[in-house]
Amino acid sequence: MEPSQFQSENMTFNVLGSSAPVLAPRVGKLVVAGRKALSTPHYVPLTSRGTVPHIAHDMLRKETALNSLYIGLEDFITKKSPAPVYNVPVSEGESPLRKFICASDDVPLILGPRRFPAIPCPPNNTDTSIAILTSVGFRQLLAHQYLDSIKTLKPDIAIGFADLVYGQQPGVKRRGKMVDRTHAYTQDALERLYGKSIPAEQKSNTAYFAPVLPLDNAQQSLYLDDLESDFKDRIAGLALYESDSLSYIPESLGDLPRLLLSQPGSPHDLLREISLGGDLLTLPFVGECSDAGIALDFTFPAPSDIQGTEPKALGIDLWSSDHAKDVSSLSEGCQCYACRNHHRAYFNHLLNAKEMAAWALLQIHNYHVMDLFFAGVRDSIQRGTFESDVESFNRKYASELPERTGEGPRLRGYQLASGPHKRGPRVYGRLDDVSQKFAESQSSIATPDTDASGLEHHGFAKKA
Amino acid sequence: MQVHRVLRSRLRVFDHLSIRLANMSTNTQSRKTMPSALNLHHHAKCSTTKARASTLELPHGSVPLPIFMPVATQASLKGLSYDQLRDTGCMLCLNNTYHLGLKPGQEVLDSVGGAHKLQGWDRNLLTDSGGFQMVSLLKLATVTEEGVRFLSPHDGSPMLLTPEHSISLQNSIGSDIIMQLDDVIATTSPDNDRIKEAMERSVRWLDRCIDAHKNPETQNLFCIIQGGLNLELRKQCCIEMVARDTPGIAIGGLSGGEAKEEFCKVVDTCTSLLPEHKPRYVMGVGYPEDIIVAVALGADMFDCVWPTRTARFGNAIVSAGTLNLRNSCYANDFTPIEEGCTCACCRPADQGGLGVTKAYMHHITAKETVGAHLLTVHNVHYLLNLMGAARQAIIEDRYPAFIRKFFSDIYQGDKTKYPEWAVGALRGVGMDLLED
Repeated sequence: MEPSQFQSENMTFNVLGSSAPVLAPRVGKLVVAGRKALSTPHYVPLTSRGTVPHIAHDMLRKETALNSLYIGLEDFITKKSPAPVYNVPVSEGESPLRKFICASDDVPLILGPRRFPAIPCPPNNTDTSIAILTSVGFRQLLAHQYLDSIKTLKPDIAIGFADLVYGQQPGVKRRGKMVDRTHAYTQDALERLYGKSIPAEQKSNTAYFAPVLPLDNAQQSLYLDDLESDFKDRIAGLALYESDSLSYIPESLGDLPRLLLSQPGSPHDLLREISLGGDLLTLPFVGECSDAGIALDFTFPAPSDIQGTEPKALGIDLWSSDHAKDVSSLSEGCQCYACRNHHRAYFNHLLNAKEMAAWALLQIHNYHVMDLFFAGVRDSIQRGTFESDVESFNRKYASELPERTGEGPRLRGYQLASGPHKRGPRVYGRLDDVSQKFAESQSSIATPDTDASGLEHHGFAKKA
Repeated sequence: MQVHRVLRSRLRVFDHLSIRLANMSTNTQSRKTMPSALNLHHHAKCSTTKARASTLELPHGSVPLPIFMPVATQASLKGLSYDQLRDTGCMLCLNNTYHLGLKPGQEVLDSVGGAHKLQGWDRNLLTDSGGFQMVSLLKLATVTEEGVRFLSPHDGSPMLLTPEHSISLQNSIGSDIIMQLDDVIATTSPDNDRIKEAMERSVRWLDRCIDAHKNPETQNLFCIIQGGLNLELRKQCCIEMVARDTPGIAIGGLSGGEAKEEFCKVVDTCTSLLPEHKPRYVMGVGYPEDIIVAVALGADMFDCVWPTRTARFGNAIVSAGTLNLRNSCYANDFTPIEEGCTCACCRPADQGGLGVTKAYMHHITAKETVGAHLLTVHNVHYLLNLMGAARQAIIEDRYPAFIRKFFSDIYQGDKTKYPEWAVGALRGVGMDLLED
């Protein structure tokens, strides 16, 4: 039980009490100079254009415990160069990015070239650039531009360029290219950020997380070898794109923090990633559930009072009319802002009325559930009962999140990922006369979802 | 007492009218007395204009008057949490009866225990009658003596919305101020007979609303003065409705795009006939300029969806007017939305605020829901702050100077740009806006 420690200029990572550096769950503490320490395993909240979707900054500070932010640089690229984010007036050492997005000084900012989950881009990556999707269309982000951005924007952690293929499996030749390019990107980045030729005062203070490609061990062995030998002293962490990669991490890199940029489909998947040694994890499913009107409802370890053979649902679909008059909180005893102030009937109403508050409050609740979940995970690992706790969790809870039934917010082009995301039904462009009239009455005032008897039942009016 | 005497003398002036109007009211003798669930304390009256500063005590807390009320149409203020709304200083906001009647419906409202409990808001609520929304449906709806007849949009069955329905729904909602169902027609309507009919019908419907009102001890029913732009009809309506002694009085039918001169004349005419000791609410108004002038004309309460709606389109309300933050000229503007504004967004980080800049709002507005939330916070705060400053100016008897500064800020001191309607309306209450 030798505690290991990794230390770079501005960041330290301590692994507490884990004998096996890889392929085992571990508890650690990530400390970035000037920020609040982060206990791992922990999730990294994903942002869109510098905001955590639906949670206004004042609510985020007062009513959530979100303690880091993942930011995609592509969200800030505009037609005109330099983009506004680079022009923010700052005092010495201040991060223009942090000031621009009004993030609190406490939270570490993690910058990646692309938002997460990234949307596949038709243009190809090149030896010197990767294809990105901005709100004004597809662009190429040059590797040296990204490195300059890291130096200018001063995030606490930056994730290195990787040549990734989205939406399909790369072929043999492409895989070779991915490794070569990623190797070259990494070598170039470390040289330009921290190299010997860079004067001390111009060296970057940002911690660099080197990518590990979502490929087999054998295919990227040359790159991994170099990470271990040549690059080790300059990288501060690893960014992985699938949980399988956790098993390829060379033992000598075991003391580096591992950020897993993956899309676990359920808390069960997430537990698996943690059990393989993931430290920082991304949870796109939280935002997806909030958008779909689903309140997460699970704890780890699973409470002992779940009885019976029927596995418990992982969430509550608040679109269901079962909740129309239900004045109980989302989950019993929950202390989040949404549960302290509101009940299920209100959520059901907000969703039906398509009010933005539904998504805002659900985000707060769902992230709170994840805060408790991760706290439970860390306790369980330290107690040494993680394996059996996971087993019991898997047994007691349903294997999948509830199916999404309701309509979420309208998604913008830059938010449209592949997979479960679908654009909502079109709300304009109805040209034929009849539907035009109907749409008119719908858009100018709310129309009832119910027929005359329903209206009478509602006490709204009576049949004449 | 004083007030009653004044009122009686005013009524005497219009005695001949009352006789003429006798046929439109129900039996005047058997009218039931109206309990009131509010108290109005006057603090000051402007020595030049008709502006008043007072405090309105309602069942869910005290409201400083004059006041702007943000509109939480469907029991939610466009994405804001009620703590964010509280932080703007809001003591009284609106819900729409029409919308709550459809969703979640009376049954749910009764079961949950009213709209306060539904939305977790412990301050005051005001609901409209649902009649105004019917105006939007006029193609589908016809107004008859019984109520508003319309076709159910879902299945086309004929339906009837009566004053009794509206009050019953508002009783279920449990709002602190409820509005009578009135016969609303566009003020711009050229049909004088129809306007007269609507006014008289609104008076008859008020009697039905008073009769149907189940909770007068906890909910304040406000009458709505109608009569279009016809001042004579407005006067008749004032007299008839004042006689019914509702806890508060609204001036309705004024957000339909009528000329501002006409709007001011109507408000001025009505406030002169209304008792001093009752709050006066001008419905569906409006822009900051309209509100500031209407306060000088003696009105106390205002509501409008514009500040919150325009926020969602990326428009910030500031003392110099309105800024469209989607405009690329703000992309690199790293100043707060309004310098010196004390809202949560504009306050700098070292004063516990968020330090939001125009550039950042430009970056997220109309793209992220958070952009709408932040700008809504700013706009609601701006209007409440403006009302607070106006109130303070009235208390310190410098309201005319306040109005001059307000217009000067909007038009950068260029008096040739001042709107004529405002100059005229203020002249009518004894103040020259163009004076230095």
